[in-house]
Amino acid sequence: MTAMNRRDFIKQSLTAASLIAAGGRFPSVLRGSGNRDTPAKALVLGFDGLDPRLLDRWIKEGKMPAFARLISTGGFRPLRTSIPPQSPVAWSNFNTGTDPGGHGIFDFMHRDPQTYFPIFSATLSTEARRSLKIGGLVLPLSGGEVKNMQQGRTFWQILEENDIPATIFKIPSNYPPVPTKQRTVSGMGTPDLKGSYGISCFYTTDPATPKGELSGGRVYEVFAIGNRIDAQLPGVVNTFKKDRPEALIDFRVFLDPVHPVAKIVLPDQEFILKEKEWSGWKKVRFGLIPTQSVGGICMFYLKEVRPHFKLYVSPINIDPADPALPISTPESYARELEKVFGPYFTKGLPADTSALDNDVLDEGEFLAQDEMIFRESERMFDYEFERFDSGLLFYYISSTDQRQHMFWRLLDEKHPEYDPLLASRYGGTIENIYIEADRFLDRVLQKIDRDTVVMVMSDHGFNPFRRSFNLNTWLLENGYHRLRNPWKQEEGDLFLNTDWSRSKAYGIGLNGLYINQRGREREGIVNAGADSDNLIREIAAKLEQTVDPKTGERAILRAFISKDIYHGSQVEHAPDIVCGFNEGYRISWESPLGKFPKNVFVDNKEKWSGDHMGSPEVIPGILVSNRPVRAESPALYDLTATILDIFGIPVPTEMIGKTIF
Amino acid sequence: MGQAKVKLDKELLEKIKKFAALAGYSSPQEFITHCLEREIARLEESDSEEEVKKKLKGLGYIS
Repeated sequence: MTAMNRRDFIKQSLTAASLIAAGGRFPSVLRGSGNRDTPAKALVLGFDGLDPRLLDRWIKEGKMPAFARLISTGGFRPLRTSIPPQSPVAWSNFNTGTDPGGHGIFDFMHRDPQTYFPIFSATLSTEARRSLKIGGLVLPLSGGEVKNMQQGRTFWQILEENDIPATIFKIPSNYPPVPTKQRTVSGMGTPDLKGSYGISCFYTTDPATPKGELSGGRVYEVFAIGNRIDAQLPGVVNTFKKDRPEALIDFRVFLDPVHPVAKIVLPDQEFILKEKEWSGWKKVRFGLIPTQSVGGICMFYLKEVRPHFKLYVSPINIDPADPALPISTPESYARELEKVFGPYFTKGLPADTSALDNDVLDEGEFLAQDEMIFRESERMFDYEFERFDSGLLFYYISSTDQRQHMFWRLLDEKHPEYDPLLASRYGGTIENIYIEADRFLDRVLQKIDRDTVVMVMSDHGFNPFRRSFNLNTWLLENGYHRLRNPWKQEEGDLFLNTDWSRSKAYGIGLNGLYINQRGREREGIVNAGADSDNLIREIAAKLEQTVDPKTGERAILRAFISKDIYHGSQVEHAPDIVCGFNEGYRISWESPLGKFPKNVFVDNKEKWSGDHMGSPEVIPGILVSNRPVRAESPALYDLTATILDIFGIPVPTEMIGKTIF
Repeated sequence: MGQAKVKLDKELLEKIKKFAALAGYSSPQEFITHCLEREIARLEESDSEEEVKKKLKGLGYIS
């Protein structure tokens, strides 16, 4: 991994948007897949975040009969997750059969040691190398590229080498899809059309609603002139123009003067929505220059007509009928699904958790959106399951993860955001999605044949996020980090106030802590070798001893020293310490991007109330199979070895797992 | 290249002369130009950094 300057990082962040607008080029793939008819088949269902303790509890209460049935024929184990148990890291363990030292994904965010700036871990993008400037236009002469940063070979690539067919449906950490002839469609990590993890738009006439940028969304003030409202929908960054403005679509809303109904008029279509109604998918197209445009899909939701107009527009998803970015292999697979199902969710994690967090959508509205996502998953699974006659089918479901993030506060009376009134209505949300997962499994078990190995797995479990820990503030208070202007501690972010000539350590990302090491960091002051190693052990020991004064509990159960835990060629890029939080704790909202809030410990007052940043023993995932499981304590990378073993393929030396059967 | 005069406090100008010489700049003007260019580059990039943060925030895990 080469060092990256700040401008390169900015390019990365503009990744998808730029590539879309600049006519992105990505590795072409051949049609077809492994062709061999296999006597054995394997079906792997991945329910993101399914927790073994909750599963066990609801099985014992008789609420999950399909899981109970499957376990009675095989086995149930907690599944050892990754360090740290963040989804991109955990799924990369599974995809490649290695740990982060092998696949190189250590966190959602890495850092550039030359700029101390966070960078996306999952993808690297480059813009057009050559361009032509004409007046206010910049015309790309060669396409940019987007690259999946996960290192190593995935199990479906190895199956392909052995002519075993596989369908890999929305597995995380596969954006852009790795080159293969197998049928794959990308999942978590796939951006929206703006190149982000998802930015929604909310239009309102309500003067009391705060306007402007929110985390994961924008709120626009609009005005009703008579019964008409004019607004604009922002799309991709227009890299064809010199100042890179956002491409916009003008639209108009006509309010019914009597009924709670509105007509929405886009340039080439119009439709009517009743209050509280979702539009279904609408195709939109953003003009860039006279010869170029980019299409996407989005949903409108008319939240309120009176007294205040409120209209939500989902993040604009890549249109699978005409993908502006690579979302499948072969490229035709995304289109094939679109022909069968019409437009479908393509953004990595489609549920708009930010809209719920920001009070743009309420609990019921968020669940209505996630219900669409879950039902779509069921329909698409039925399609793939129907034609699954050989090899491997992997299928991913996101709703289990997303609903636990947002509704844990209503399951947990000790959570600072527990609300008894809301809990009386939505306290069963998490239990309900587990029951839905059971019904999903039931449709599988009704049709599965005896030769098919079934594995139901999750990448990690879940636990409450009640208290947050400001790692960078802790470093400051313990003398490991210094500010140039201490009286401005709470101002700014991205370490803009840091005195690097006196700072020994810093935190970036959700679990990572780095030493400011001489020769590696731009202004490093700690010598590599013994000095650095001693400091790492000193900080790790202190972190593990740090007690939350409010609860008397330790915030960090284990501070892992990366050199001791990772294997493979990528270890040198790892954070020096990986924080494994105690149950109930997580990194704060501010620390991951280099901020220094006043207090080390703060109550988590957000709706995002369940999480999985803990020490791995706190939040294992699950493994349930129709075959007896011999392994006492299987890990994610053991499942990778197991899949290969089912098809008689020797486990490559770079993989660290062993078969579980 | 267009030329423009800028008024500077005398005390500041003396410091600029001193540090320009110490830092090896060929003239106070080169030193001032370099400082201004660097600061402008930082400000120009700051909008993009804001944009980056917004995009990361859609992830849900940070604010």
